[in-house]
Amino acid sequence: MKQTTLRRLISLALLAALVILFTVLSGSRFLNANNFIDIVRDASVTAIIGVGVTMAIITAGIDLSTGSIMAVVGMTMANIYAYTLWPIPFMILCGVLVGLGCGLVNGYVIGKLHVPEFIGTLATMSIFRALTYMIAIRDENGVIQSQPMNISSYAVLGYAVGYFYFVVIAMIVFVVCGQIFLKYTRLGTEIYAVGANPKAATLSGINVAKVKMIVYTIIGFCCSVGAVFTTARLQSATTAVGQDFEFNPIAAAVVGGVALSGGSGDVIGTLIGALFMVTLENGVRKLEMNTAYQYVIKGVIIILVVMFDAWYKGRMDRIAREQGAKEGVSA
Amino acid sequence: MSGETILEAKGIYKSFSGVPVLQDVRFEVKRGEVHALMGENGAGKSTLIKIITGVYSKDDGQIYWEGQPVEINSYQDCQKLGVACIYQELSVIPPLTVAQNVYLGREPRKGMFIDYKKMNQMTQELIDKYDFPLKPETVVDHLGIGQRQLIEILKGLSQNSKLLIMDEPTASLSGKEAESLFRIINTLRSEGVSIIYISHRLEEVYMLSDRLTILRDGKNAAVLEKKDIIPAKVIETMIGKVVDESAGSKKQLHSEPGAEVRLDVRGLTDKSDRFRNISFQVHRGEILGLGGLIGAGRTEVVRAIYGVDKAASGEVWLDGKKLDPSPKNSILEGIGFVPEDRRGQGFIPLLSTTKNVALTNYDIVKTNKVFGPAGDLATAISDSDELAMSKRAIEAIDIRPADPEKRVGDMSGGNAQKVVLGKWLMRDLKLLIVDEPTAGIDVGAKDEIYQILENLAKQGVAVIVVTSDLQELLRVSHRILVMRKGDIVREFKNEVVTQSRILSAGQGVAEEEAVEEAAEIEKAEEGSV
Repeated sequence: MKQTTLRRLISLALLAALVILFTVLSGSRFLNANNFIDIVRDASVTAIIGVGVTMAIITAGIDLSTGSIMAVVGMTMANIYAYTLWPIPFMILCGVLVGLGCGLVNGYVIGKLHVPEFIGTLATMSIFRALTYMIAIRDENGVIQSQPMNISSYAVLGYAVGYFYFVVIAMIVFVVCGQIFLKYTRLGTEIYAVGANPKAATLSGINVAKVKMIVYTIIGFCCSVGAVFTTARLQSATTAVGQDFEFNPIAAAVVGGVALSGGSGDVIGTLIGALFMVTLENGVRKLEMNTAYQYVIKGVIIILVVMFDAWYKGRMDRIAREQGAKEGVSA
Repeated sequence: MSGETILEAKGIYKSFSGVPVLQDVRFEVKRGEVHALMGENGAGKSTLIKIITGVYSKDDGQIYWEGQPVEINSYQDCQKLGVACIYQELSVIPPLTVAQNVYLGREPRKGMFIDYKKMNQMTQELIDKYDFPLKPETVVDHLGIGQRQLIEILKGLSQNSKLLIMDEPTASLSGKEAESLFRIINTLRSEGVSIIYISHRLEEVYMLSDRLTILRDGKNAAVLEKKDIIPAKVIETMIGKVVDESAGSKKQLHSEPGAEVRLDVRGLTDKSDRFRNISFQVHRGEILGLGGLIGAGRTEVVRAIYGVDKAASGEVWLDGKKLDPSPKNSILEGIGFVPEDRRGQGFIPLLSTTKNVALTNYDIVKTNKVFGPAGDLATAISDSDELAMSKRAIEAIDIRPADPEKRVGDMSGGNAQKVVLGKWLMRDLKLLIVDEPTAGIDVGAKDEIYQILENLAKQGVAVIVVTSDLQELLRVSHRILVMRKGDIVREFKNEVVTQSRILSAGQGVAEEEAVEEAAEIEKAEEGSV
């Protein structure tokens, strides 16, 4: 069986095991249509941003600034909402542009200035969060206010058509487009190449810096879309939007089989991972357990998954080597 | 078919920070020839290749491609001309398929999307044309190193390359993989593709090349036609001195009977079945050669003896004492280990000779005081002790540069290997295990390393040498064990042994055939020399 197929089955099995476990433990409180709709809805923002973060991890990078980009996008829109009479679509456009800008900054710092991804986005995580505070809406005493954004033409984005919330529809569009982009375009192939062997990619005429810049800009776009839906659902923007969020898309990607060493994984895997993470949160809530447990469980699962991936990769590499040595190239 | 000159470099000069590396070098490749490029490390081979491929700029000189003067300023420039370099460190992308690798960055498209059908078809056509054992849709992850190398060659051919540069292509191939590569090189030659073949393995060069350019100290030493490529002459030209002729393909083995057993391995078996039920002994003052193809389990066996990997069962005895193998125990018991992957496992590139030597020896740096007062300070690491130790190592085996503060990562392969050996020489060794001790090291330094091993043996140390280089195996061993697929299949001692007998044992060819083959080869060799 192909390595990628097996890995996909493993993440699906993990998700199925979790669903079965919570069904056994909490019965119909967990196992009902409305709860599943909630789970998919809750997983959507993680999955949307996960589409971009997956690409970064495939290039052997990471993005820690996603939560902060969401916050700064949300706060940009709140300012326009509070102080102008611009139409809502234009407000969203401005938010998206700011998100793209943040992503481009990340891409420039990583691609052109050669700052390692981890530390580069750790720095911009702090910078973007600070920017959010700087542009936060304040009252006359200078105290930060939560800005309500409950005009119906915006808040409608938090609602559903039939069974499908708009955010779920957006998520499906992102995942499908992301998957096609990665697998069927030149740029998608180049993303894998950059992550698996940057030297070889360069020798093949691939502009590694450019690929990275594009990837982080895509993440900026994903984050701004995530921020639009998050603020629409909350019907307000606060400085706390996206706080500690960056863990979620990374964890989703890892559980979904995107190797942190780069070069492998895909967006569908990340979607499965996002559903797994949210199912875990949801189940723990239904069981009325202390929510602290969910973080412990999440952490342990990530360690186990990464351990498995490392072990499995080592095994596959060894088999390939031995096979080659034994058979020559006449296989 | 070979005839007109395809590439010519004339009067090439290059120096790095004032030190001349290439001086008035001339190099010429004809269409459809395999042109070998040889020279000791530091002779300027890599620099010349890097100038041809646009990685370095030349100080002076001119390169002609098909008779026209050309400027090559980047690897892309040289690709456009039709030159492809098959790199020593393989540059394939494992998660992609064979076809994706071949057409990386140049994928055929239908609108926005990659046309996989066309891409696979184009790859298949190339594979058929040159008869490569590959399939377009295979993911590279599942392929061995030999096949990965073929992908790179295929990639070059897909760009209509007329000249392929192969830098040490067989360095990490097993015998069988190398044979397939040689077959393919011959096919390419008959298709009119030119090949620059760089290798330290002399026998490959004799076998494959139509012509041979030898560089020495950055200058042309000789250009030899096929009929003039005579082993002794090549080596002499390369290193400028006559080396021992007996380093050939045949040797009378001598083991000293009655010497006491130092290492006794009993029924060692691997957890993941890479070797099973391995039993052998090494005597005092004996150099035991461990031969066989890559992947036969040799490295795994010695790693288990040293204790890097744990064996599932079996015992290791040293001087009549049963060991509990782990690197720490092994060091304390007097076992030294020089691993196969020198840069990755043998030394710490960013640290100096002093620190590299001291790292293994902190237990004796502390107690074995050369300078400084005893007392409280005795347990502290003393810089002067470290320094004294590394100076002793440098002196003992002539490490160059003789600068204890030099970073080992900046040294040549031969000297870095001497540092790795040197740190063990500082200890009271009973057993030294060396795995591929001279891979990628030039001929002169090889000889020095053999001498170090021989001196150790004379002092009573038992030495195990794992090597894929048959000449080396014959050169150093007193006794030879050959492994195949995880078993010891043959022992050679007190007899005349030839390269072909060892190779046959490693590949599982019956002994009678092997003897015949050996006779034939000997005859053929006598005829050709």
